[in-house]
Amino acid sequence: MVKTIISSIAVAVIVLTFALFEQWFITKNFNEFNDVLAVLYQKIEDESATEEDVYAVQDNWLKKKKSLHAFIPHNDIKEIDLWLAESVTLVGDEKWEDAISKVEVLIELSEQIPKTFTLSFENIF
Amino acid sequence: MLVTFFRTLIIIITLMVLMRLMGKRQIGEMQPFEFIVTLIIADLACVPMADVSIPLLYGVISIACLFLFHQVLTILEQKGKFLKKVISGRPSLVIDKNGIVLKELKKNDMSVDDLIESMRANGYFALDDLSYAIYESNGQLSSFENQNQSQPPTSLPLLIVSDGKIDDGNCKKIGTDTERIKNFIVEQKGRLKEVEVMTVDGNGRTYFKKKGQKYEILFFPLKEGVKW
Repeated sequence: MVKTIISSIAVAVIVLTFALFEQWFITKNFNEFNDVLAVLYQKIEDESATEEDVYAVQDNWLKKKKSLHAFIPHNDIKEIDLWLAESVTLVGDEKWEDAISKVEVLIELSEQIPKTFTLSFENIF
Repeated sequence: MLVTFFRTLIIIITLMVLMRLMGKRQIGEMQPFEFIVTLIIADLACVPMADVSIPLLYGVISIACLFLFHQVLTILEQKGKFLKKVISGRPSLVIDKNGIVLKELKKNDMSVDDLIESMRANGYFALDDLSYAIYESNGQLSSFENQNQSQPPTSLPLLIVSDGKIDDGNCKKIGTDTERIKNFIVEQKGRLKEVEVMTVDGNGRTYFKKKGQKYEILFFPLKEGVKW
């Protein structure tokens, strides 16, 4: 009985701690990524963005995604990878309108993905 | 992570409630919760393991949830009989000194056929072979042999009437028809609706039980030449 109670409490504490850490970690990383994307968006809007700017955002994302793989579905990560890769080409070709729509999608993704981890009715059901 | 945890919890609770509602026949020698664990643990482990697009952590959390739920149920079961009854169910006495307890069978969504099948699996072929039979909460039949059986059956008894309904197929096998069975019941001062169980073996030995009465061992005259 004592063993059962102790193991239950231990697992509950571990799950809760991990859950809180996951929530904090994902929100922090995506907030940072969102800030970087906002800067890129502004530069594209001003038509002053270069391929290097997008590469910098991509590098930033590559560092983050290594650890994010443990928490979020890999398809979500792949989606961001693809949208970023397209943005590089479009900025290089100075197709600003197309590039801005891609970055808008990336911003949307960076806002929506952390929301899928919050405890809410639509996420549970 | 908490989303995965609660999703798993909801599935487990849903399965648990459904398994309890389905009765003992669905369980098959396991406690309801053991059955649920067996049912879902393989998928919980395999899906994240095989599908590389799902973080392995999702599987780990789901399994941890399953473990936690199991531990909590174990603690609750030990807390009292009422909780044990709610979680695992209680044994059902389906045969007592008066014969079959049809009400208990119905409570578990079982029929006399199911009981006879379980008895055969335990090596008993006639309903009066047992003084007591209990369906345990894991779906297994525990039996207490009848020590005072007057005339042991010498051939396989067939179910002729079950819960007021005549089995035409079995009637044919013993070379009789519905009318003869009905007449036999009238001779016993009863009505078909009142008969819970009636079995007849190849020698005419009959187990006859009316609602609310103790069973009787009677003789049903079979037509000449009928051998079952």
